[in-house]
Amino acid sequence: MINTLPSTLAPAISVRGLSRTYGNGPTMVRAADGIDIDFPPGTWTAVMGPSGSGKSTLLHCAAGLERVDAGRVMLGDTDLTTLDDDELAVLRRTRIGFVFQSFNLIGSLTAAQNVALPLRLQGRRPRRTEITDALAAVGLSDRARSKPRQLSGGQQQRVSVARAMVTRPEVLFADEPTGALDTGSARGVLDLLRSTVEGGQTIVMVTHDPVAAARADAVVFLRDGRIVDRLVTPGVREVTDRLVALER
Amino acid sequence: MMRLSWAGLRDRRSLFLGAVLTVCAGVALVQSSLLLLVTAATLDPPAGASPIARMRFAESNEALVAVLAVTLGLAGLLAVFIIASTFAFAVEQRRRELALLRIVGGSRRHLRRLLLGEALLLGVAGTVAGVPTGIAAMAAQAALLHRLGLAPDGFTGRWQGWVVPVSVGTGIVLALAGVLIAARRAARIRPLDALREADEVTSGMTPVRLSLGLIAAAGALVLIGLSPVGGAVGGQAMATSVSVCAVISLSLLGPALAGGLARLLPAGATGPLGLLAVANVRDDARRAASVAAPLVVLTGLLLGQAGAASTFTAAGRAEQRHDTRADLVVEGTGTPLTLPPATGVAATETQVPVALTTGSGDMAYTRITSGLVVDAGAYTRVHPDAGDLTGLRGAVVAAGPGADGFSPGDTVGIRVGDTDLGRLPVVAAVPQRIGGGASVLLPAGLLTAGQLADAPWRSFVTLAPGAGHDDVADAVPGSATLVGVEQWLRQDGAARTSSSNAVLVAVMGLGALYALIGVVNSVVITVGARRREFAAARTAGLTRAQVVRTAVTESALVTGFGLLLGGTAAAGTLLAALITTGAVSGRPTLDLPWTLAGAVVGCGFLITAATSVLASRAATRERPVTLLAARE
Repeated sequence: MINTLPSTLAPAISVRGLSRTYGNGPTMVRAADGIDIDFPPGTWTAVMGPSGSGKSTLLHCAAGLERVDAGRVMLGDTDLTTLDDDELAVLRRTRIGFVFQSFNLIGSLTAAQNVALPLRLQGRRPRRTEITDALAAVGLSDRARSKPRQLSGGQQQRVSVARAMVTRPEVLFADEPTGALDTGSARGVLDLLRSTVEGGQTIVMVTHDPVAAARADAVVFLRDGRIVDRLVTPGVREVTDRLVALER
Repeated sequence: MMRLSWAGLRDRRSLFLGAVLTVCAGVALVQSSLLLLVTAATLDPPAGASPIARMRFAESNEALVAVLAVTLGLAGLLAVFIIASTFAFAVEQRRRELALLRIVGGSRRHLRRLLLGEALLLGVAGTVAGVPTGIAAMAAQAALLHRLGLAPDGFTGRWQGWVVPVSVGTGIVLALAGVLIAARRAARIRPLDALREADEVTSGMTPVRLSLGLIAAAGALVLIGLSPVGGAVGGQAMATSVSVCAVISLSLLGPALAGGLARLLPAGATGPLGLLAVANVRDDARRAASVAAPLVVLTGLLLGQAGAASTFTAAGRAEQRHDTRADLVVEGTGTPLTLPPATGVAATETQVPVALTTGSGDMAYTRITSGLVVDAGAYTRVHPDAGDLTGLRGAVVAAGPGADGFSPGDTVGIRVGDTDLGRLPVVAAVPQRIGGGASVLLPAGLLTAGQLADAPWRSFVTLAPGAGHDDVADAVPGSATLVGVEQWLRQDGAARTSSSNAVLVAVMGLGALYALIGVVNSVVITVGARRREFAAARTAGLTRAQVVRTAVTESALVTGFGLLLGGTAAAGTLLAALITTGAVSGRPTLDLPWTLAGAVVGCGFLITAATSVLASRAATRERPVTLLAARE
């Protein structure tokens, strides 16, 4: 079984035989070593593991940000490993959304302009309601004109969720989305992600935080570039125990 | 994309203000030099002037045109270099932001369009400011040329409508060209680079950059190698061009050289702040090279041109001294000196402007230059190096010490005023002189006394035994001056130095000021881009003053690097000047402009230090935690 959750639907993202090494000779690191995994649509999967286990590599390769040495990554019917740079750029602005630990908003643009950016890159002139709705969905209707530096960390992260969601992507990739946030702000962002999943969004999230992972539908554990364990509808205690076991 | 460009501009005011300033000053300088050149080239002699006076006017005007042509060339070179490098540098400072755009789905084409859009806005802003600034610069430059004695009374530049497209081309096209090269590189950035904490440090050397740098270096070496065979005129032109090639080469190869030189710096010998400064310079040699580039251009061109000018002037003074045998010198206009035989003999040289035509048919080329009417025997007595001039009588001419483009055996067309003497054979040539002089020697008797009526003359007097200064003074006409040969040589030397300085100031004055703006600009841009780095250093325990001190130390290291490369470029010109003077006069000469060099070094360190103090204080005004928390 390679599905994290039993599902009869075709997976939103399907990874087969993914391998990726960095460096060569004695410094070579096998960050992904033949990973097979499916992410069913409308589910939230957390990827966990000790540092160097390959979880970021899995995320970056699945999102087409990183080249693979071997294997295939299917987003729906599209094989990401065969796309050139421009095709990947189009994919990122239409079918994939990203949320990062460090927010990565463009400092010179307001919150509304940041949210509108992916649509503008598609060559569309976004309707005002599209942007206000996206900001309202993350609870920031009143901060549309604020620049990132005028927002708190939690608010910035919610803008970046709004930016990622505005194109209605097939998959939302989140890399430690709560890593730079205080507990309260983190809970707000996780609630937000949960509500998008309830609305049918697929999320793949890398995290260190058992509390964040426990909000997902499933957790996969990586070590040395391989999937070594998985949990469905996890609890915080269970996740913590598995993680501690992996660190040993 | 244009809106994003605009937002980007608004947000990085200091970076882009600097870019607009470089475009504005570059456009102003090129436009002003071009308009003055066109004005000078089409300048009419005063109404009612005699044919000879018209030729004299044309002759001094040709010198003004030549000075302005070199000024325009240097202005163009500086504009290309400073505008293109400032814009390329501004792009380099924004790698992270560009990678972010790539993550949210921006394609390479988007990035290029964004950067070109910004360059277009900045280029337009700079040009719009530059055109009126150019008009002001033109007035200043014309006044300077007049004060330096290079331009006639009442010389002012004439505005021409067609200069606007040229200025637009200078400002906008150069801004776009600078960005185009940098944008191609920048667009290749991988989206993942946005996720890395620190920007990836690149070597900054690309194969194209390396090859262009090496070609320019080869050009400089070839010019040095050819300078001894170029003669007085060609050798001087080659020598002054060496520093231009070398400056281009060293700026292009800067990143590679900075990397190498930075490794020679002692690490850890100077306490923790010195250690940090050295580590920063070593870590990002590319940045160091970019900051140093305008300084390399400024130092290399200024010291190269000044060193060449003072060396060639010194050589001119030396050859004048070496090749003049007389006791007294009398100078006047009109009626020449006649000496009683008991007093001594006078060798009189009368200066006339001539229209000299070299080549024939389609290749014929006429210029207004200076001729010297001489008596062959007297001339060789005063100037023993002149060689055999016995053939210089009748309807013939000889190639003078400032001759260029013709030699014995040729025939040249000569016109003096409105008298066309037809084509005359060149029967002899005196050695070329570094200090120049008349292009042609005309035998006495070729021109009528009427044609020489108002011509300035100079008589070298050799006293008869027992005769003295006072005996000659009695024979000197009222308006003429009489001095001892020593004093005359000193006066002549001083006049040569002052006219060479005047040309240098005219050619380099505003250009040096412009390059200085480029230097200040690049320091402001780099320091301003390092706010987060400074904030991180402060959270590591550095005080604000220590951060500023580190920035100043780094600045001093980079300034030293720029001065070293600029000095190397200037040294290339000096080497070629040494070789040329040796080959032409047999006396290798070197005269270094020490005062200017000292001023350039002192001002270089002072200005970059002051700029980095102000810029780093501005960049550390916010509390570090605010900066680090508000991550973009």
